[in-house]
Amino acid sequence: MATAMQQQPYRGGSGYVARSSSSGLYDVLELILDKGLVIDVFVRVSLIGIEILTIDARIVIASVDTYLRFAEAVNRLDLMSTETQGLPELMDGITEGGASKKTQGVLQGAKEALFGDEDEEEDEKEKEPATTQRRSSSTTTKRRRATSGSSSGSSRRRSKGS
Amino acid sequence: MTGAMTELKTETAKYVYGVIRAEGASPPKGAGIGDGPVGVVAHGSVAALTSDVPVDFTEAGREQLLAHSRVLEEAMQGSVVLPMRFGVVLPDERMVHERLLAPYGEELEAQLQAMDGKVEVTIKGIYNEEAVLREVVAENREIAGLKKAIEGKPEAATYYERIRLGELVEAALGERRAAAAPQIIDRLAPLAVDVRVGEPVHERMAVNASFLVERTRLDEFDRVVDQIGAEQAGRIQLKYTGPLPPHSFVELGVGV
Repeated sequence: MATAMQQQPYRGGSGYVARSSSSGLYDVLELILDKGLVIDVFVRVSLIGIEILTIDARIVIASVDTYLRFAEAVNRLDLMSTETQGLPELMDGITEGGASKKTQGVLQGAKEALFGDEDEEEDEKEKEPATTQRRSSSTTTKRRRATSGSSSGSSRRRSKGS
Repeated sequence: MTGAMTELKTETAKYVYGVIRAEGASPPKGAGIGDGPVGVVAHGSVAALTSDVPVDFTEAGREQLLAHSRVLEEAMQGSVVLPMRFGVVLPDERMVHERLLAPYGEELEAQLQAMDGKVEVTIKGIYNEEAVLREVVAENREIAGLKKAIEGKPEAATYYERIRLGELVEAALGERRAAAAPQIIDRLAPLAVDVRVGEPVHERMAVNASFLVERTRLDEFDRVVDQIGAEQAGRIQLKYTGPLPPHSFVELGVGV
């Protein structure tokens, strides 16, 4: 492996792995909403949208729509064998299909509420697959006010599954 | 009216970020949710990191989530911390003692001991869609055959064939995901104290796992992650998040 790196504390040397700390909210969202200690009765924060984001995003629904998109993606492979630059568009299409139409609207809303309209990270992922995306915390901690969909007065209990 | 007003209690409640050791405990300097200072509520050998929030606190936006995560991140620099899930609010300080620290004291102490010197790292692997689709077409005769049969024909004439093709591709991707995850996890698990394997969040996700790693072995762990990342370059993009407080490895028993 890399030789120069081995002297100092190792902070990643290959450039193939994307790293972030907890300052990248998108990466820790699932953890802070779903994991950790909880005393059931007192968890009372209303997580409108967010709850749906974390739970439904996990359900990969296979539908005719998904199949057709996959078929299209596969059929386009030859066109791209010479010009691999067409990849981002293809991947956009796939991602949309994969997320399933049903959840898409809600997910988008929740995402916008949380991350504002710039979901840098996801964009990066789409645009430069398989390359370095080491991000400094200064770019990811950009704070944007979350307003829509996150401040309803109604409270809902999230129970830990009795 | 005036009588009723004086009856009103304080209008704040205690938001709880996590639990630390009481001995030598000092709260993180950074602000908590709503920019308030973070304090320590100690009880015996354990202590809660808390801050005041309005009694009707129900906001769960970006600011609040980030604040929760920042407080924990700062706390873990100093010592071991057991993270609470986002959104735990108790009516007042007395209840922090009565509902959390007193009844769960021993359990918390045991977990603090178990988590001491350890951090959580999450590893996600995302497929490069084009690369994985090429593999699927190359290795699956039925898929390759259907693809050929459809080529050049009008969409309307091949509707059902295309659905069948997509269905096969979807299934092949599922098989691939199922095979890829253990390959990566098995390489990292020996370097970790514990592992939690999560479900893939979307179809391009090959791996989604959390590892509990000794701080002293983090370098070693990171090197292997990078090795795997290099081996999978162009095929699976690894995403490394951490070191984090051990969210996935703490739990309170039911009871009280």
